[in-house]
Amino acid sequence: MILNKKQKHLQIAFNRSLYEVDDMILRLPASERIIVEAGTPFIKQNGERGIRSLVNNWSRRIGAGAYVVADMKCMDRGSTEVSIAKSAGASAVTCLGLAPTETINDFIADCTKYNIDSMVDMLNVKFPFEVLAKLKKQPDIVVLHRGADETLAEIPFHEINRIKGAYNSVISVAGGESPTDIRRAFFNGADIAVVWRSFNENPDQVEALAEEFLLSIKAYAKSIKN
Amino acid sequence: MPNQNRGQFDFKKLPKYIWVIPALMCIINPSFIFIFFVVFLSFIKRKKDFMSLLNKTSSVSPSLNLSLPETAFMRVASPVPSTLRTTNNFVNALSGLSTLFVAPSVNRQLKKNKKYLQVALNGSLNESLNVLRGLPTSEKIIIEAGTPLIKSEGIGVIRRLQYAMPGSYIVADMKTADLGEQEVAMCAQAGASAVVCLGVAPIEVIGGFIAACEKYNVEAMLDMMNVPSAILVLKKLKKMPRVVILHRGVDETESNKEKQIPFYEIKQVKGTSNCLVSVAGGDTAREVQSAIFNDADIVVVWKDFYTSNTTTDKIVTGFLKEIR
Repeated sequence: MILNKKQKHLQIAFNRSLYEVDDMILRLPASERIIVEAGTPFIKQNGERGIRSLVNNWSRRIGAGAYVVADMKCMDRGSTEVSIAKSAGASAVTCLGLAPTETINDFIADCTKYNIDSMVDMLNVKFPFEVLAKLKKQPDIVVLHRGADETLAEIPFHEINRIKGAYNSVISVAGGESPTDIRRAFFNGADIAVVWRSFNENPDQVEALAEEFLLSIKAYAKSIKN
Repeated sequence: MPNQNRGQFDFKKLPKYIWVIPALMCIINPSFIFIFFVVFLSFIKRKKDFMSLLNKTSSVSPSLNLSLPETAFMRVASPVPSTLRTTNNFVNALSGLSTLFVAPSVNRQLKKNKKYLQVALNGSLNESLNVLRGLPTSEKIIIEAGTPLIKSEGIGVIRRLQYAMPGSYIVADMKTADLGEQEVAMCAQAGASAVVCLGVAPIEVIGGFIAACEKYNVEAMLDMMNVPSAILVLKKLKKMPRVVILHRGVDETESNKEKQIPFYEIKQVKGTSNCLVSVAGGDTAREVQSAIFNDADIVVVWKDFYTSNTTTDKIVTGFLKEIR
């Protein structure tokens, strides 16, 4: 697994056009706690080229520790999509928890083969635990997700400790948008919190927003004070 | 506007002695000579593209690159000199003029009571373009830009397919699970005729997706992969999608021999809604036959079209025979 398990991370998803995203990434604070994500619409818009430019820019910004997630939302043909992400230079790929079990198995096997982190996205999955129990091998990271278009659903914070108790996976929480939500996620035991909307809406204030969100990670805030 | 470039000039539809009409007009009124000369110039430029379609051996013709129209949404990979671009725009405008004489062959919407063969392209871009060159012209053929193709090349690939097969009905297999409107807008901009959403996605997403499809004037397809019962999903929706795809995934097909394509659901879906039904996951001629026998409107094939070969034409005609 490439990700540093002991640290808490902030994952920022980018969904604007390639030019804007290139610019936004070069202005992010250079912290290893930030994970850059190529959002699904972004990948579909720009293809492999888009991911590669994200990887290049982010590693130019922070050096060797650059961690870029390709949010492929793989539903079928797991191996093909992993190889696309690998050739683009991503460090992690996502697969939908809704996908057939065979696909997720293939996907995780290929991820270990290519040495990329596997993420299983539990968007619209009622019982993530059941999906995980069917798998041959556990994914590196489990993403608990409330979709951007779902307004009524709640973020399943209660699942975090349940999954952590049974498996050794890292838990990521997506769907919260305010710093309070992020703090709640970390308080409930999540390792990664995903944000995107505020960055998508205010591309000019990337630095300030990222700082604000990073401060909700306690260890980061402490290191800043010292 | 998404359908600006749809009125492509289709040479295959022209009657053989069409030139007699302008010749007669020129004899009656010599001032027509100038007008037809200009149209003739555009004819020559388009003919080059047309010839490149016929020429199945060449990989990517240079004219394909030149004639990609610029949109705000996409960036063309190879920079084209601006002079070429402007002449090309001029020629495009002229070919638009020529549609006054011949009705455009635009296949915008699927018709009920017709059977279609959907060819899914999942290889690299060059392979896909080669496959397209091998296809016979038929209104029954739908082209699908597969998910791996879109994810590796970007949505601009649809414009390229559109240009390699002018006037064809192109499906963007986006497999949308979230952010429906953004993805539909993207596809409409790129010139797709239909977009695919996942049936397993949250109901709000599917609803938003179908509304967005109506807004952007593309057809909505709902992919029922890994959905236990298609009608249960359809019942929860306010508006029906145009097409329901009953789908057995590739990975499922390969590693799970027991899984069957749910042919029995075709009648269920058709009984409860007004949708067309498409069947994906079967690849042999036998499975195509049984899908059509079970009243499917569209059959999706991909395995034989993964890479192009000389037999593509034969296979398609074989399949078309199956669906009549």
